[in-house]
Amino acid sequence: MATKGSKVSTGSGDGVAGGDNIRLAEVGQALFIKAAGVGVVALGISAFLGMNENDGWNRFSHSYLVAFVWVMTIGAGALWWVTIQNIVNSHWSTVIRRVAELIASNAPVLALLSLPVVLPLIMGKPVMYLWADAALMHESHELTNKIGYLNPTFFAIRFVVYFGFWTLLSRFFLKRSLGQDKETAVAAAKTVVTMRRLAGPAMIGFALTITFCAIDLIMSLDPKWFSTMFGVYYFASCVLAVNSSLALTLMWLQGKGRLTSSVTVHHFHDLGKMVFAFTVFWAYVGFSQFMLLWYANIPEETLWFKIRFANSWGSLSWFLLFGHFVIPFFGLLSRWVKRNRKALAFWCIWQLVMIYVDMYWLVMPTLPNATEVPFALIDLTCWIGVLALFIAGVAYRAKSLDLLAKNDPRLPKSLAFENI
Amino acid sequence: MSDVKKPSVKPGPAPVHGLLAEYDTPPQLLHAAKKIRAAGFTKWDTYSPFAVHGIDDAMGIKMTILPWFTLCAGLIGLATAITLQWWTNAHDYKWIVSGKPFWSIPANVPIMFELTVLLSAITTLVGMLMLNNLPHPSHPLDQVRRFARVTDDKFFLMIEASDPKFDDVETRELLESTHAVAIEAVLEDRVTEEKMPTGLVYGLIIVAVASVVPFALAAKARYTKSSSPRIHLIQDMDSQPKYKAQRENSFFADNRATRPEIDGTVAVGDARDDDKFYKGKEGDGWTRTFPSQIVFNEATMDRGRQRFGIYCTPCHGQIGLGDGMVAQRADSLAQGTWVPPTNMTQENLRQMPVGELFNSISHGVRNMPGYAAQIKTEDRWAIIMYVRALQRSRSGSVNDVPPDARASLK
Repeated sequence: MATKGSKVSTGSGDGVAGGDNIRLAEVGQALFIKAAGVGVVALGISAFLGMNENDGWNRFSHSYLVAFVWVMTIGAGALWWVTIQNIVNSHWSTVIRRVAELIASNAPVLALLSLPVVLPLIMGKPVMYLWADAALMHESHELTNKIGYLNPTFFAIRFVVYFGFWTLLSRFFLKRSLGQDKETAVAAAKTVVTMRRLAGPAMIGFALTITFCAIDLIMSLDPKWFSTMFGVYYFASCVLAVNSSLALTLMWLQGKGRLTSSVTVHHFHDLGKMVFAFTVFWAYVGFSQFMLLWYANIPEETLWFKIRFANSWGSLSWFLLFGHFVIPFFGLLSRWVKRNRKALAFWCIWQLVMIYVDMYWLVMPTLPNATEVPFALIDLTCWIGVLALFIAGVAYRAKSLDLLAKNDPRLPKSLAFENI
Repeated sequence: MSDVKKPSVKPGPAPVHGLLAEYDTPPQLLHAAKKIRAAGFTKWDTYSPFAVHGIDDAMGIKMTILPWFTLCAGLIGLATAITLQWWTNAHDYKWIVSGKPFWSIPANVPIMFELTVLLSAITTLVGMLMLNNLPHPSHPLDQVRRFARVTDDKFFLMIEASDPKFDDVETRELLESTHAVAIEAVLEDRVTEEKMPTGLVYGLIIVAVASVVPFALAAKARYTKSSSPRIHLIQDMDSQPKYKAQRENSFFADNRATRPEIDGTVAVGDARDDDKFYKGKEGDGWTRTFPSQIVFNEATMDRGRQRFGIYCTPCHGQIGLGDGMVAQRADSLAQGTWVPPTNMTQENLRQMPVGELFNSISHGVRNMPGYAAQIKTEDRWAIIMYVRALQRSRSGSVNDVPPDARASLK
């Protein structure tokens, strides 16, 4: 671990990324081939396992959805991360921002990955989203009133809006940032302002798209249930996931000899603070959602929790409370942990796994007859497959691009950044 | 600085407090700090308009223990919140809120969260002030004119004369070697009065006394009696935008707020077509047998005893002899208007059909009100079952007691 101070302390502009290797090149190509191979094989096994279930792909769809919404926390989270850094004109994060931009611009791959669960829905086949069945929607009064929103046509439109918006926004940030690499100092400073100007309104668009996307993909699995906090709940996982993933990605990059002197313990310290903060935020939002439903005690709302408190789902709920909040809260509390590479890596991986457990807890109980936690091999293969293809997408784009916004006027300050 | 009002408190020339060096930029200050630290000084400090990154390392300042204060305070706040809510709501004064359990953790979490944050935050602030020796009303540096720019654009370093390594000449040379812009000797403060200003003293006394008043009023209220109604601060409950039963409401043609049932409909749960169960009737007379919905077992009996204890004992007494607390009180008042409650073990009640007993509980008899609105139908039958058991117990013989329990009677 690097000790305090690092090499740059005066913030002079010389040696920007000096000597640092900021291209993935052959490492990126190798990662792409490996990840794509693993992804295709893992999803192939998943499809085979899913076919053998003989339940109209219901089991496969559920496992796949858990894996997909988990990966989406990283992809959508990265877009949020880039946007917020631009809004607040953050200096410290400049050395990391390009990596986040590269992850965020994987939105088209995310859209492709969502097709196995989204396509049947758009075609009106209720594999796991019961609301795609028009006859069922007309049966009950409370569902009839939701037909205006929960119908395949409107969903298809929304789906295009979500992923279209994320694709355009992430492309905008990446293209501007890459263009800045070749600009003069004056133009580069202007680009900073251009990106910042757009980031504000874009954040409103992001808030709306992530909220409704979470409602559509996860909450509508139980079409009768509703929680106005659901979007924020999912968003909390997004921020937690992207900060954990960024820390791990940077550690991996440095292990491969990339960005070794640009990114210091001070940057990791700040990422660790974000992981800690959003561990608390997740618990805060999760409990707020729970307490209101619990206190009001209205049957159509509490049923959702009743299912999740029964049998082994109840144990999983307790596991989430302690594993996702109490234990990592004390684990991440100390300054030392956030500045120690191995300790931080441990908690980042821990929280990413916990986000998966959380997504599993959200999605799986709607699987028919899932009175107990039905974890099986297919869940694991879906998880590996979706993650591997996502990584392959990022590696494919990143291999020939710079990993550092080398011409950003804020870079010198970011290189010299010191954390107390 | 209001330091020109009075002459110095102590006579004689002021001794040197320390040597002050001035710098133009943070890097110069950092450089100087490293040098002073290397020279082995212990009583010195740096001053800057903003937090200079890296100054802690340059000065060799150890990590503060403040986070531990914060952690402890947070845990104390958490424990306080749990104890407070358990003590007040689940132990000392049990009180049902919203039909939740007495000690209901989810309802307590917001307070747990708030007290944790509150105590952490206050402790962090107070701890920070204490660790920094604040508030510090006066300091010898306040008398140095050039030091005023420390809040603007200048950076300073001072070595105190009380440092064991301090030497007038050598220390000055050392500071000169750090490329200080200026070096100045700081004298002890002989201008600021050492006594606290009188106004401040009186002000603090008044605040201290005033802060006791609310506690005094609360203490007085706890230990005195008053016949006036309590102060009613929040009046929300007094004027509610609703109509009560049997009130007038000109909105409807019949001017009644209570709406009659719609013809040909039955409210949910009101389809009571089982006369035996709901009215205690069989044909035209009272039923002599329990309805089939009532199960004869220990659980029903327990339920009956429990409900009897809640609703019947105040008048009829613990075992139905008509000697409950209300009856005893009425007897002692001897107002002559009191109809004593029935002894339920007397012969005519022993012979009374259960259906008639059921009717009495449901609709009342003489000055006893009906309990149909308060006691569920099954529970009224359970009470009757228990009453039957009470009646039996008054006329039982030793042979009714199970053989293995007879020993306990002796």
